[in-house]
Amino acid sequence: MSDSGPTKLSPAQADLRGSPAPEMVTVVIDGQSHQFPKGTVLLEACNAVGAEVPFFCYHAGLSSPAVCRQCLVDVKGQPKPVPSCYTPVADKMEVATKSPRALDVRRQMLEFTLVNHPIDCPICDKAGECLLQKHYFDWDAKFARNDGIKVKKQKVVDVGPHIVLDQERCILCTRCIRVCDEVAQTHQLEMAQRGDREVLTTAPGHKLDNPYSLNTVDVCPVGALTAKDFRFAMRAWELYTMPSVCPGCATGCNIEVQHSRGQVYRLVPRVNPAVNKHWMCDEGRFTYKRAQTERLVAPLSAGMPVDWDRALDDAGRALSAVLASRPNQVGVVFNAQSTNEDLYALARLAFDHLHIGKAYIAGLDQGWHDDILVSADKNPNTAGAMAIGAGRLRSLLDLANDLKAGAVTALIVVGTRGVLGAGDATRTALPLERLQALIAIGTHRDAVVAAAHVALPLAEWTEADGTFTNRLGMVQRVRAAVPAAGDSLPGWEILSHLARKLGATMEYFEAKAVFTEARQKLPFMKEADWGRPMLPVQLRFANSRG
Amino acid sequence: VSTAGDSLETRRVVLGFQDAEDLGPPDLPTEPVPLNMGPSHPAMHGTVRMVLEVEGERISSADIQIGYLHRCFEKESENATWTQIFPYTDRLNYISPMLNNVGYALAVEQLLGIEKKIPERAQFIRVIVGEVSRICDHLTCLGASAMELGAFTVFLYALKAREWLFELLEEVCGARLTSTYCRIGGLAYDLPEGFDAKLRDILARTRIVMSDIGKLLERNRIFRDRMDGIGIITQADALAYGITGPVGRSTGLAYDVRKDHPYLVYDRFDFDVPVGSVGDNFDRYAVRVEEIVQSMRILDQALAQIPAGPVLLQDPRIALPPKSETYNSIEAMIAHFKLIMDGIHVPPGEVYSFTEAGNGELGFYIVSDGTGRPWKCRVRPPCFSATAVLGKVLPGLFIADVVPTFGMINMIGGECDR
Repeated sequence: MSDSGPTKLSPAQADLRGSPAPEMVTVVIDGQSHQFPKGTVLLEACNAVGAEVPFFCYHAGLSSPAVCRQCLVDVKGQPKPVPSCYTPVADKMEVATKSPRALDVRRQMLEFTLVNHPIDCPICDKAGECLLQKHYFDWDAKFARNDGIKVKKQKVVDVGPHIVLDQERCILCTRCIRVCDEVAQTHQLEMAQRGDREVLTTAPGHKLDNPYSLNTVDVCPVGALTAKDFRFAMRAWELYTMPSVCPGCATGCNIEVQHSRGQVYRLVPRVNPAVNKHWMCDEGRFTYKRAQTERLVAPLSAGMPVDWDRALDDAGRALSAVLASRPNQVGVVFNAQSTNEDLYALARLAFDHLHIGKAYIAGLDQGWHDDILVSADKNPNTAGAMAIGAGRLRSLLDLANDLKAGAVTALIVVGTRGVLGAGDATRTALPLERLQALIAIGTHRDAVVAAAHVALPLAEWTEADGTFTNRLGMVQRVRAAVPAAGDSLPGWEILSHLARKLGATMEYFEAKAVFTEARQKLPFMKEADWGRPMLPVQLRFANSRG
Repeated sequence: VSTAGDSLETRRVVLGFQDAEDLGPPDLPTEPVPLNMGPSHPAMHGTVRMVLEVEGERISSADIQIGYLHRCFEKESENATWTQIFPYTDRLNYISPMLNNVGYALAVEQLLGIEKKIPERAQFIRVIVGEVSRICDHLTCLGASAMELGAFTVFLYALKAREWLFELLEEVCGARLTSTYCRIGGLAYDLPEGFDAKLRDILARTRIVMSDIGKLLERNRIFRDRMDGIGIITQADALAYGITGPVGRSTGLAYDVRKDHPYLVYDRFDFDVPVGSVGDNFDRYAVRVEEIVQSMRILDQALAQIPAGPVLLQDPRIALPPKSETYNSIEAMIAHFKLIMDGIHVPPGEVYSFTEAGNGELGFYIVSDGTGRPWKCRVRPPCFSATAVLGKVLPGLFIADVVPTFGMINMIGGECDR
């Protein structure tokens, strides 16, 4: 998992941890002299310079209680090894991370942790990305000296709507408790009992049900907390991972899409100090599910599946008829769910080539929000859509009025999600049946697609390359992780084909070309970076290669 | 048969053979004709294509086209853990998979720096199964080549003996060809009960078979006519092409990795390296026959000296723990899990390690980036260079000479094409 590896402390991260103009101190680590900002945690300092120190309870995004004693190192002048996660660096400090004593105490701590650990690897969801496995292999690698009976605890505890707890596997690091306390800001987990009977538990009558509860599964170094959604679904090391951005709201949490054989199995947060730090909300984790059900997989013409050529011909003919006779009655619907590339291609087609005057903006309704990560705007790219629309986009209420008045008789909808929303009376009242030509480019078999004369299948966010602009105005990259469902294509490509049928010259052959052109023309994308091409990395080898 | 120092002429005089009268080419108009041999040809015991240009029966040029058995061994290896590559190595020279297993294991062990820690019994067993495989390899080559010249009895005799040895290897590792017997750090399991007596018995019977084969072939006019002086590879060519093994030794090059760069416990055995004098097909035949004898000598000594003890290094980071430990302790379970799923963590670095396989110097050039799989796993297949020289040797020979010459090169598709 991305957040459990050694932390490389960049100056930017050091800044965020509270020292804007850091005073530097000199620390000798394993005989090598290094400079660090004052106040840096020794563990981070060691790992940043390659003197790897193992840990369980420490987490870069949480406070350090120093309970696991796995990060002990020798500091010159100290009588006993010190927990490096709890020790700030000091000037002229001399640290030995690989002294015989430090190695031995860490090995003994591991042996101690393993005494009561169940032999669960074959049935444990965490196996393969388990810190205990990794540390045993890297730092212990000795056979058991103890064949006593292991302490029995509860195996399948239903602690919340998304999470199952296995108390035997828990190594009592308290990371999950701190996630609830410090991220979700609610105290839902606690330790009970003492010694080898100590267990993780919720208070009687309480549940682990905060909106950030699945972060506890990510930070759990072992398989004690497992997500019901991912439990027994897939072996972690078989998954491939692709960096992307959550489409659940305007925050744009950085995530990894973890997939195998064309199917997404889970979304996990990816560290971005400027957006989501190490976390994401539970709701965002399930956004992948929609991309895998009820998809529109083939172009439809008059409700019948046809091939792309036929569908584009029909769409072109229907639109051309209206464009030729009543060009001011053609409208286009932009969608705040689309990528900047799809929106830009649509703007080019609608405004520059077809000179359409009537443009509208669709998107999901506002929803709940908090002050942590969740935004009220449930669309990932409202900022991008508004900037690309440049004041020309009107609301769906205006569309409803125009339809009723007969001012719009042909409509191109790119992204059908949120066009007909159940929660909004004006939307359900859109009289789409009055249209002479409705070209719907959508991902799902929804009501707009059902009403469309020609429906064209659109690739989902997990299937197409592009960028989203979040509420802070940051243009963030979305990467295609899995093949597009059925015959569906990215929006810019569909629009490029459609443009050809309408006699416009708008040829794009890759998303990057659309991005590059958009970046030259749109001020808000000036700083945006497409990033390097990337092959999915298999988690099996991701720890050491990637 | 001692061939050292004999010239071709003396050999033929000793045997009392007379050359057929060379009448010279008839005075007829001819033109070069292209002729395809292979890739699927009954007398080509490997999938290889030879595009010959013939003038009458005489070959004027030969283009050897390999690659029909390319299986992406090297690329596949980059996506398999270090241990998962053993089955792939079985399919290099598939007549002597044990030798490939050993060669690959030694390379990785050298990279891990544990070559000195391999249990002694494992090293002896590696020598024993390796030499048994070498005998199998040579028997196959001799039998098949003799058969292609019409000596079908020899083929049956040779394969009968090979079958005894294969059955013995099957008892050792469960398979005749796909052995996968070695592991990084030792062997998958110890030799079976009674292996010692069985091998001695088989060797005794194989000696009789070898004697029979010698009687059938070595004074056989047809065999000698088609072997003597045919397909001569000069020593200079052998050096230039990098030819090793029996083909290289047939030209008089006394290079044998087991002698010149001893590995495992080969320095403890007394054995000779036979060399040829002419570099023709018969020398290659004779070198192989003698190597079988020498392998048997090594086997006798190894069986006498083999110590008791473990056959696998006891290190949870390298070798799988015993099953009883794996099922009953979390430590061994984790080690098992990490070794199977992540693979052995071989430190970053590169190594070229080479051993004497059936066809000569089998080299593994391996680069590790510190992960559970190689970053690069390159094989130096011994028969590749020997096959390459055919393009130079064949022109001037008759079409019929291709068969014994190619046979005695012993090109193995699995190894050559990888």
